Amino acid sequence: MTVRTDPEGSEKVSLLDLVDFTDADVLEIGCGDGRLTWRYAERAAQVTAIDAFEDAISRAERALPAKLRETVHFHNVAFEDFAAATESNAFDFTILSWSLC
Amino acid sequence: MPHEGMVHALEETHRILRPTGYLIEIHPAREVPFVLVRSDGKISFAEADPGYDYEEDLEQAERAVTVAVDRGMFVLERTRRFELRTHASSVKELRDHFAVTGAYDPEEKDETLLRFRDAMYERAQAALDEPAVSQELIYVEPARMSRLTPT
Repeated sequence: MTVRTDPEGSEKVSLLDLVDFTDADVLEIGCGDGRLTWRYAERAAQVTAIDAFEDAISRAERALPAKLRETVHFHNVAFEDFAAATESNAFDFTILSWSLC
Repeated sequence: MPHEGMVHALEETHRILRPTGYLIEIHPAREVPFVLVRSDGKISFAEADPGYDYEEDLEQAERAVTVAVDRGMFVLERTRRFELRTHASSVKELRDHFAVTGAYDPEEKDETLLRFRDAMYERAQAALDEPAVSQELIYVEPARMSRLTPT
């Protein structure tokens, strides 16, 4: 058995209940290995997913489905550095994914 | 992340969001996670994770969101509670997974809590070792997801 996280889809159900990602520009902070990213990215226009941990980003990039390669962009960067280089009003949605604490 | 760092992160999040956008904030709920063993469709083991010790971090995160709302950066519109479940076939598989993903880093834990956690996982593995047609180990982490609108 491979470890499976949230096969019930509880996190995705909650997320899609709160937001309609259709054609949205999304920033996901603390994306980890992309576990949550895959679950909403198909609907979005662009997803920028960042994480300060290089190993996590490497795993996310390896697991990135081919159909999402033009939509999802991973970056190994801390949020404070990313924000410093980002203009105002850049995203429709920001997800703080298990990363505030 | 220190409390003021959390508030600053929320300020920066507010700045880069479009006025019509949303912030989705996800973090563990202030409830103790627990471990289940399901054998042939029935729960044969259920115990709280004695290694849970991040109550203070969660309190600070919730306080940072409250500060951001009080300062007029965001309006808290909706909150949902859900359970994030991680399924594995053995204790080793689950703990190896958490070691790779960086979750529940044992290096940050008190030694006593770690011993209690090890003992709990030994009992869980004993339950998994009982004869059964199908078995799985499930780590259940209660969580909260909130939608905030920038103001």
